[in-house]
Amino acid sequence: MPHAPDQDARAKGVNPPSTETFENQILSLVPSLRRYSRSLAKSDSDGEDLLQDCVEKVLVRRGQWRGVNLRAWAFTIMTNLYRDRHRHVSQHPSVEFDETLGLTADDVSGDPLEKTRLQKALNALSPDHRSVLMLVVVEGYGYQDVADMLAIPIGTVMSRLSRARRQMAAHLAENNIVTLRRPK
Amino acid sequence: MTDDHKPVTEADLHAYVDGLLDEGRRREIELWLNRHPEDEAEVRQWQTQAAELKAAFSGYAQVTESDRTLLNTPTAVVATSSPSLWRRAALVAASLTLFLSGAAAGVYGEKLLGTAVTVETAAAIDSLPDQSKTAFLVYASEKRHPVEVGADQEDHLVTWLGKRLDYKLVAPDLKGLGFSLVGGRLLPVNGKAGAMLMYQDTAGQRLTVLLGKNPENAETSFRFESAGSLETFYWIDGSIGYAVTGEVNRSKLQQIAEECYRQFET
Repeated sequence: MPHAPDQDARAKGVNPPSTETFENQILSLVPSLRRYSRSLAKSDSDGEDLLQDCVEKVLVRRGQWRGVNLRAWAFTIMTNLYRDRHRHVSQHPSVEFDETLGLTADDVSGDPLEKTRLQKALNALSPDHRSVLMLVVVEGYGYQDVADMLAIPIGTVMSRLSRARRQMAAHLAENNIVTLRRPK
Repeated sequence: MTDDHKPVTEADLHAYVDGLLDEGRRREIELWLNRHPEDEAEVRQWQTQAAELKAAFSGYAQVTESDRTLLNTPTAVVATSSPSLWRRAALVAASLTLFLSGAAAGVYGEKLLGTAVTVETAAAIDSLPDQSKTAFLVYASEKRHPVEVGADQEDHLVTWLGKRLDYKLVAPDLKGLGFSLVGGRLLPVNGKAGAMLMYQDTAGQRLTVLLGKNPENAETSFRFESAGSLETFYWIDGSIGYAVTGEVNRSKLQQIAEECYRQFET
């Protein structure tokens, strides 16, 4: 499978892990965990919160790690946390997060309206569809890897990916862009 | 050329987009796409989408100085003293402050206290086009007081609103497009002082132009949103976000938006 998770080699045969190794490995995973958390979240602060919860849980549960593929294990934990949070929030559907707060100074290079548009389309996806889309597209995992991480059949991965892509396409088509040569 | 190889499934099309095929199969899919324009159109759409998603989030995969502090949770300690709970407690406390201050009383207060949602919820702001649509729906139908200051006091209007926006406001002249200024009003946009200008044509058809402070300097292309018969064009230029809304067909409204863009100073 392409995109083999990068922690396998170092991680194999290290069970139980020494504190130093384990924490350094977690540290090296933080950037990609941050990217994944942000891709699931509705704002930067929401994403950072999810990241903190995830790292905390990984540390607390370190005894349960089987010593193989720490990255995939951490991604699974993050996905579950995200799903649980979403369930909690959606019990109160009238409470909406603010998409515009996701536009921080980090990405002034991008077009903020474009980002809001994308964020809205993503927020319309269910957590199950969104996590599969992000694991494949942004994190570069193969379909079987995703199936293993989420403990679902590969057919389910494919149907979620398909649904996510079509729903995104439909949503993005609704609010269209006119890219003009601006008249000034 | 026939489709006599392994049949192409939807899974193949996804794998093609995600770069998960070997070279031989990839070529077969490309030949397939050449002969199946509908599949090709969908695949191109998915590729664009994937590129946008990667671009939107790749910047977050960075090492930051605070990364190490994430590890500072003493793992031996049970969850009751975890930073996560402290954060939640802080959020509830912050929500309570908001609630007591009346900023969100009655509307959000109860829900904030009842759940661990973040504080930003209370400050939730509709997007610029949504605010523009709301302003149009509220004021364009108003018979007696559609504006606070009428077009007869245009100089006063633009000086006053310009001062509140900290921006050299002009009321665009849209007479060439059949619309003349009715006037304007001050109203909140993105939680700050913003301005609405209203125009109407000889048939009494109205349109509104909303201006609001943008939190960061930016420049965007024009976008439109449709909601029923209501069309909105919006863009950001420098420190100001603009939105033009009306029950006018899209090409006409686009002309109007372009004219506004031309006349507004940046």
